[in-house]
Amino acid sequence: MSQSREIIAHDLVKRYGDFAAVDNISFKVNAGEVYGFLGPNGAGKSTTVTMLTTLSLPTSGTATVGGFDITRQANDVRRISGVTLQDVGLDPLMTSLELLTIQSRLFGMNSKQAKDRAMELLAIVKLNEPGVIKRPVGKYSGGMRRRLDLAMGLAHEPEILFLDEPTTGLDPASRRDIWAEVRRLNRELGMTIFLTTQYLEEADELADRIAIMVKGKIAIEGQPEALKSSLGSESINVTFKDADSAASAKDELAEMFDRVQLDRRMVRLYKNGAAQVVPAVVNRLNERALVPTSLTLTTPTLDDVFLQVTGQTINNDTEEDEPAA
Amino acid sequence: MTSVSTAPSALTRASETDHPSMPFVSQVVMMTRRSLMTSFRDPVAILPGFFINMFFLFIYTGSLGTASNFLPGLAGQSYLGFILPFSVISASLGTSGIAGQSIVRDIERGYFDKLLLTPINRWALLLGPMISASFILVLQTLLVVGVAVLMGLRPETGIPGVAALLVLSLLTGIAFAGFTVAIALRTGSAAATQGAGFLFFPLSFLTATFVPLSLLSGWIRTAAEINPITYIIDAGRAVLNTGWDNDIMIRALIACFVLGGITFTFALTSLRARARRK
Repeated sequence: MSQSREIIAHDLVKRYGDFAAVDNISFKVNAGEVYGFLGPNGAGKSTTVTMLTTLSLPTSGTATVGGFDITRQANDVRRISGVTLQDVGLDPLMTSLELLTIQSRLFGMNSKQAKDRAMELLAIVKLNEPGVIKRPVGKYSGGMRRRLDLAMGLAHEPEILFLDEPTTGLDPASRRDIWAEVRRLNRELGMTIFLTTQYLEEADELADRIAIMVKGKIAIEGQPEALKSSLGSESINVTFKDADSAASAKDELAEMFDRVQLDRRMVRLYKNGAAQVVPAVVNRLNERALVPTSLTLTTPTLDDVFLQVTGQTINNDTEEDEPAA
Repeated sequence: MTSVSTAPSALTRASETDHPSMPFVSQVVMMTRRSLMTSFRDPVAILPGFFINMFFLFIYTGSLGTASNFLPGLAGQSYLGFILPFSVISASLGTSGIAGQSIVRDIERGYFDKLLLTPINRWALLLGPMISASFILVLQTLLVVGVAVLMGLRPETGIPGVAALLVLSLLTGIAFAGFTVAIALRTGSAAATQGAGFLFFPLSFLTATFVPLSLLSGWIRTAAEINPITYIIDAGRAVLNTGWDNDIMIRALIACFVLGGITFTFALTSLRARARRK
């Protein structure tokens, strides 16, 4: 795999006045890797993407995309990168075929090549039915617009693809379609993919490595499996009808486990071989008249990693996938 | 966390300048076609200009149509031919807003950022909507001239004169569109861009609008003599009422290019300001 498909950031900072949206981050995305950039709203994920895609300048620090410096070689970065920003950027009065043809032509294809490429992309993102091709983009659903936006980023067959929250607001079926396409691009074309997301499940599904960003800094980075294994143990998750009961349960059970975390009405109890102590947990709760509403046994997930790193669960506000007005 | 052993600046790849890109003229043609296409798909922006244009023509002709009988310098001329070039200027002010609004729509929808991430020539990004708006103005001018002919106008220079009027309206349209595009890029606001067109209205009245220049006096005559629009209107009146006059036509073309040069430069600096990475 060519080293030219790497992304390297070194002490990258972006300040707005006194506020550091991105605060001295360094990372390396290997060629052909899917790199998941996770974090809650306002963590600095999109700001990082706007710098790497040359839409904004870093306050300090350096980065290269495909070997090109994002500050001094912006045109080269744009030529080898495909970008799907958080906000879909499409002209609602045009059709998907028109938009993709223009996009392809601007990257140097002749009229016929551009039209062929547009049809190929429409087939890839499953928007190639005649009725859909002729319909103005303004009449597409949110999921269709997202898929078309992804196709726009692929028009010039980029070496590196930036996807900034590509599935936010999509229904589960559309989300799975995008995931399948991202996987195909990575596996079949060897494309390096920088993926920001608020969905832990998405990162777990797609990313070879992830970084969790909190308040402008990278809090932890690694392979999802390694991060989950680092938590070391299974967990028993006990949910109560109120937060006070959960807090009392935490105090009662803490001595039995390696680690205990309280998340509103839920207590997470971590221990190797946690399954064997479930009866003891139930007994102890009965003795103290603490009645759980549910009790589950789980192996560590990225949610646990996120909770461990940030001290909070990630909040996903799922929007409706409605056609535009 | 992965350690980054080498600063990226030490690893940068040489720029590759030999990759194919779309020729500049083709980019301008493509962006013009795109703007025309989207304008006609949203005709609400086009139709008012045409109707207002016709309204002015009817009102001025109805109320001042007999002025050529008593105004010195207009004896024997058609007042319709005298007022029609002003009507074209009024239309160009309204129609130029289409170019600015098209840019605002792209900015609001995020498509403008998407275009900035392509290797598109910045001039093509501006010229597309500007030329498109001026084509719409030419179409409106053609319709207004057609209606004026039905009302009795007989252009002194015939079809070549009408063609010259259309060329002038094309150039005027581009010039005024440059201003609205600049405001759109500076503000990203539909309301500000709509208002920008009206800033030129006073300028269009500081000309020999209703009477010949020779009948004006004082400061308004000085203002009219400085105002480039005066020369564009003069040329239109010449081809419709008095016949070919090369000096008048050259002055009109110079006025169009001066006005266009100023507004296009303004648009270009506005684009640079918007596209500048912060």
